[in-house]
Amino acid sequence: MFRMGTNDHEAIRAVLNGDRDAYGVLVKRHSQSLFRVAFRITRNESDAEDVVQEAFLRGYRKLEGFESRSNFGTWIYRIAVRCALDKIGGRRWDDASRVAEETDPEQEQVQVADEAAGPDRLLLSGEIGAMHEVALSSLTVTERTAFVLRHMEDCTSEEIGAALGMPPNAAKQAVFRAVRKLRSRLAPLRVKR
Amino acid sequence: MNHLSKEELVEQYYSKGTGSARQHLETCALCAETYAELRSDLDEMKFNEPPARDAAYGDLVWQSISDSLPAYERQKRNWLGIGMMRGLSYAAACGLLVAGAFYAGRIWEVKHPQPTARVNPQQAQQPAAHPQERVVVVVLSDHLDRSERLLVQLKHADASSQEMLSPLRDEARSLLAANRICQQNMNQEDDPTLATALDRLDHLLAQLANRQGGLDAAALSQLQNEMKSDSLLFEVRVLRSRIPDRRPTANDRPQGGTI
Repeated sequence: MFRMGTNDHEAIRAVLNGDRDAYGVLVKRHSQSLFRVAFRITRNESDAEDVVQEAFLRGYRKLEGFESRSNFGTWIYRIAVRCALDKIGGRRWDDASRVAEETDPEQEQVQVADEAAGPDRLLLSGEIGAMHEVALSSLTVTERTAFVLRHMEDCTSEEIGAALGMPPNAAKQAVFRAVRKLRSRLAPLRVKR
Repeated sequence: MNHLSKEELVEQYYSKGTGSARQHLETCALCAETYAELRSDLDEMKFNEPPARDAAYGDLVWQSISDSLPAYERQKRNWLGIGMMRGLSYAAACGLLVAGAFYAGRIWEVKHPQPTARVNPQQAQQPAAHPQERVVVVVLSDHLDRSERLLVQLKHADASSQEMLSPLRDEARSLLAANRICQQNMNQEDDPTLATALDRLDHLLAQLANRQGGLDAAALSQLQNEMKSDSLLFEVRVLRSRIPDRRPTANDRPQGGTI
């Protein structure tokens, strides 16, 4: 029986040798970090919990392909990001991915009216945090995920690129675009503060 | 002075101020001001923090998924692993064996050098009688065959036909050389009859091959008479019958052509 003190690689070897319970050590060790990133991408507690479970299930099925040189935490984290993106794929971010500052047919972006409360009202009600959330929602899925991983999870461009399946430079560009859009949308707040 | 781009400023913010961009910000007031605005904006971006999860959250996740996880087949993996390891072990053992044998052979060769050909001193002193005899017998057999044919042609030759006489003389010259080699190689004490026959054949062939002025009717008639009086043709036939009828093989035939 494996305990929490067992390192990840020993636990993985045990799982592959038939000790299913050894996977529980890995689940308990990495659940918190996976929930955190899942929530930041999905912005929904229930979805985040689903993502965590789905990530560990996928990880278990793919465990034979896990390279022992890799870090399990990084590996399962990446799977969780993909699961979170899949989760929001058919939901609200599908629409949000087409929202942009200006209409651009080539990039399938359109300018849409903000259904949320206006900046003045949000400011007046003290919901500055909600204003930030709205601004974040205006980003494309890629920009939003890249920004979340960079700004909140302190991931490097290489880690973001690996999680999103793109080159590090493209990940860096996605972060830059997200910052530029967020600053633009949040400019009214800056003026009034 | 090239100012930092907005992308570089964003990268500078997230990379926590490292590299040449930081040095530039220390000397460029304009970029420093732009960067300060960016940093202020990004620092103030506060988003909803994930709801807290207690220490038992991991247990809950495990309980929710553990029943749906099939255990990996230990036996299958073990067999695969054992089989692979066993195969690799056999391959490594075979490789070592071959390498060891090769190395041992090399050592043995160095320590026990062997001559390429070993000569028995007794054999070396003895003449190689048997092979030489075989060659002589084969050559003699052929020589007597050819001589017999020449004598038959000579017996029935027509002096008026120069076309027939010319090939006879060429053949006689060739046989004369072969006849002398046979004479040199045979031991006269062993077979005096053969030695005598070869002497008489030599005389006839020499006349036929080297007669001054060529072969005219008189010369041809003289040679035919000599051959008849000596019963040379009969004698060659007898000698030929005494020699075993053995055709040369590839091993027997001396290198460099026939006589």
